[in-house]
This record gives sequence, structure tokens and C-alpha cells, in this order.
Amino acid sequence: MKRSILHMLDPMPNNSPFDINMALDAGFDVLMPYSNVKLESVHGLTQDAIFSRSMAGVKRTGLFIGGRNLGLAIDMFNAAKQAMIPPFAVSVFADPSGAFTTAAALVACVEKELRIKHGKELKDCKAMVLGGTGPVGIATGIIASLAGAHTTIVDHLYLETAQEVGLQYNRRFGCDLHAAVAGTDREKIDVLSDVDLVFCTAKAGIQVLNAKVIKELTQLKVAGDVNAVPPLGIEGIKREDNGAPLICAEKCNAFAVGALAVGDIKYHVQHDLLVSMLETEHPVYLDFRDAFKTAQKILA
Amino acid sequence: MEKPFILHMLTTAKNLSPFDVNMAMDAGWVSAMSYTNIEASEVQGLVQDAIFSRSAKNLKRTSIFIGGRDTKQAMDMLKIAKRSMIPPFEVSVFADPSGAFTTAAAMVAAVEFHLLSKFNTTLEGKNILALAGTGPVGQAAAVIAAKAGANVRIIGRQLDKAQHAADLCNNEFGEGKTNIQAGADADKAQYINDTDIVFATGAAGIELLSVELIASAPQLKVAADVNAVPPAGIAGISAMDDGKLIEGSVNGAVGVGALAIGNVKYQTQNLLLKRMIQSDKPLYLHFEHAFEVAREYMKTTHYK
Repeated sequence: MKRSILHMLDPMPNNSPFDINMALDAGFDVLMPYSNVKLESVHGLTQDAIFSRSMAGVKRTGLFIGGRNLGLAIDMFNAAKQAMIPPFAVSVFADPSGAFTTAAALVACVEKELRIKHGKELKDCKAMVLGGTGPVGIATGIIASLAGAHTTIVDHLYLETAQEVGLQYNRRFGCDLHAAVAGTDREKIDVLSDVDLVFCTAKAGIQVLNAKVIKELTQLKVAGDVNAVPPLGIEGIKREDNGAPLICAEKCNAFAVGALAVGDIKYHVQHDLLVSMLETEHPVYLDFRDAFKTAQKILA
Repeated sequence: MEKPFILHMLTTAKNLSPFDVNMAMDAGWVSAMSYTNIEASEVQGLVQDAIFSRSAKNLKRTSIFIGGRDTKQAMDMLKIAKRSMIPPFEVSVFADPSGAFTTAAAMVAAVEFHLLSKFNTTLEGKNILALAGTGPVGQAAAVIAAKAGANVRIIGRQLDKAQHAADLCNNEFGEGKTNIQAGADADKAQYINDTDIVFATGAAGIELLSVELIASAPQLKVAADVNAVPPAGIAGISAMDDGKLIEGSVNGAVGVGALAIGNVKYQTQNLLLKRMIQSDKPLYLHFEHAFEVAREYMKTTHYK
């Protein structure tokens, strides 16, 4: 049998060591990094990859699309798909910044706690994505919104930044993202006053929600945090929390999902999707939608 | 299934050194992944990407190598990498910019051996001239020897550059325990009078120590040269020499050539790369550890 090859396309100067570890551990024999890849190069690179192996070899070949920018990754993903000439077609998996799999895991973990602890569904809820204008935040917003939650992207500096995210991604994916700005504790208490779900997707090592704010919240049901580097994104949360009561909440019955609980599911989602590229008979094209379905399946 | 061994190889340069890639593969790393043009500010992100994608158990099969051309940059990146670990998510890191740490360690360990076997003495209190010692190998050798108790003087064509290198060594790598001096190449005839040991770490093809200077060195004991391309950095030393008498030395000094040093360097780098594979706890390896390993290697192969 031919060795399996994963061609890893990245618009950044370097691939992410995270994706390298994951791809090798999923069983790919050879990883080939391509860095500084431009959107217009994707067509040619894809056709070079599909036309150089027999049909049996094509099944043992995949494309992975990384980077830091969601929109660009999706454009590259679509360009790769369009470059296939069946039966010369290989599987493609986009997971820029690991954001699709992280966001899928985060939303699925929060959804599960919401069902268990409050008997509610995402479509019954108002959700805020704090630190929501980065890759994981945007993907979280898209997934939550498409699952039916009334979802708002919150930027800590400018309303316009959050609005631009909404404009761009609502048009792209047919989701319905709202925008808000909240920098101070007062502003956070205001925007979160009637919110059921909080997704904390700010940068590692930044506390976005402190006890003072959490104490004032009355509707909060589940809060999830993806930051594993202390200080964590939400005061009082533990990285291992997986449905533990949110310590600082006094006026509501809120539960916490910490970064390692999310990370564990994220890990399995990314692993399963990479493995599916090796096992499938027909090429698969995997993005955040597949990641969310896989996360839900793992948690079911 | 056992997870494959992955070495994430970071360099500030635009390419990795094929030397390091070969060494990594031959030490047992299954996959060597290259990250180029890396800046210090990117190290934390890369390290945390590497540590959060494997279980603590499989992180033992994951490590980071820091290459590049600059000793301070590499040491800074090593420190940042160490600080970026979130136990139990941590991996070993080994810095060897330009192979300089392992080359310097091998040279000093080889010199130490010949000092003992031919002159029955140690590095303690010896006067060392590090000729063309302003580069990565010269710097690392100066620090290693100074920490072992020698009085080291880094010699450069320009005194201010030599002084800068000496200051860098003392301030950044010596931990306040070294007092490395500087000197100008023009004054080496004067310094050679009380020199016990010479390290020649110049560019290929430049003679740093002439026959005349060797003849005028009354207490010279060992001279080591890392240049493998003729003409040799030290007159009368050939690349294969490993303790051979230097012709014209009044004190019976012996020479250590580039290939003898290169062999110890090769073994040292190989052992350090293997040590990361075998270690149960994360290791943070640089010139000091290279010297420990080079000394151990000399003990098992040279000392009787």
C-alpha cells in the first residue's frame, strides 16, 4: 500500500505544531508542510496533488488547510474543492488556527450541559461570545447561531470590529450574528444581563469575566472557556471543569465548562476528522459543520 | 498504538541546517518538522500548540529543537520555551544554534582530556586564548571553559567586537560566575607568553596561530582547532590530530584537530537528542549539558 500523505497548506510563514502532532497521531505517514501559500496557488497545488497518484494513491492523499484567518481558509477550502477533477479528487479538511474544531467542541460541550442541567436547547437561548472577533470566537458564533441560538459577538474595544464580523460571516454562511462592545465591568454587566450562555474565546492568559461581573448575572446557565493558560478567561472556573457549578455566580444557577474539557473534545474531533480522511472511500470535505456534528456525536 | 516521535525544529534562519535534521533522524526521531524565520515573540505560541495537542504521556515522545545562528537568540528562545510550559503539558527543549554548543563542548572536553593525560592537570586556573572567539562556537567554548575555572580571553580582529562578545558571555551565559576578558588580534604575540591553551574558532581557511607564535609560547599545553578546511587555523595541526605533538612547540604542546573534535561533537549531539527521547521528565538542554555529555563520552572512550 502506498504511504499516506497529508499536504498541509498554510498562508502563514509556518504550520502549527498542534496540527503536525495531530496529523501524525491520526496515522498519516508523511506530512508535507507548504507555508506562505496564497489563495491563487491553491488550485495549482491541489491539481499537482491529485494528478500525481493512481486512484489507489489518491485515497491515501489529503489536503489540510490551516492559517489564522477563517475567511481566507474557507476561500482556500472552496478553491481546493473546485480544483478536483473526479475521479481525481482527495479529501480536504480546513481547521484554521484549530478554530473550527475548538469552536465545535466548545459549543457542543455547552449544549450538553444546557440540556442536562437546564433542560434547554441552544435555540431557546441568548449567547454572547466574549473575545469573539478572533478565529475561535467567530467560529463559535457561527456554529451557535446556525444551531439556533440568538448569538452576539462581543469585542472589547470597538463595536465596528464585531459588526464587521457579523457582516462578513452572515453573508458567507447564512448565520445571524449580532454585535456588541464591552470593555469595562459595567459594560459587561449590561450586555450580559439577559444572557443564558457565555462563550469565552479571548486570547490565552487574559481574564475576560471577573467575579464582580459574574455576581450580577441573573440568567446565565452555562459558561464555557477555551483559555488554558492562567489567568483563565473566567474567574473561578477550573480548566478541568465539565459541568461544575460556576463558583462566582450568586444570582443564577450557572455551570462551567473549562478549557481542558473543551480541549479533550476538540482533540477527539480533530483526530476523528483526520482519521476519516484516511478511511473514507470517497473524498470528504470537512469544515466547522462536520466538526460540530462530530463533537455532538462524541458527546452523545 | 505508540505515537511517533516528533521533533519540532525551530530556527531564526530561513532554513534548518541539514546537519541537525540528519542528526535528529539518526537519534531516533521519526518526524522532524521545520519552522523557519522564527522570532522570539512566536516561540510561546508554537510551544503551546505543541504541548496542548498530545496527552502528557505522549508528550514524552515530543520535543523541541532550537537552531539558528545566534547564541543569545537561541538561549532567549530556550528560556521563553521553558516559561511557556504548563505542567503536566511540557516537553524537552534543546538549543544548539549553528551546532555551536555541542562543537564547543566537544572541543573543551577533548582539550581537558589531553591536558590531563599529557600534562596531568585540569582547566582550573589555566590561561586560554579563544582566537577568533567572537562567534557562536568561540563564545560557548569561552563560557564552558571559564565555568570550569579557566581564565579565558576572547581575541578578535577588532577589540570592541571581542569586548562585546566577552561582555555577552559574562552577562548572558556566565550567571555571574565568569570573568571572560577581551583582547585584540594584534596583541596576541604578547598574550601567547603566558597562554596554556588555545582555541581556534575562526572561519575556514584562515591561519590564526603561526609557527612563530607557537615557538614563542613557553607554557602552551593544548591547542584545538575547529577549522577542517586547509590551511589549518593553527599551523602544524591537521584535522585528524587527537593529541599529536605540535611541531616547533618548546613545551611539548599537543594539538586537537577539527575531525577529532567533530567526532566528539557528533556523539554529544546524538546523545543529547537521544536523552530527550529517553527522559521521563522534560529537559532543557544547552551548552552546559552538552559539556556534561561530552565529558562523559570522553570518559568512556578515551580515559583508561
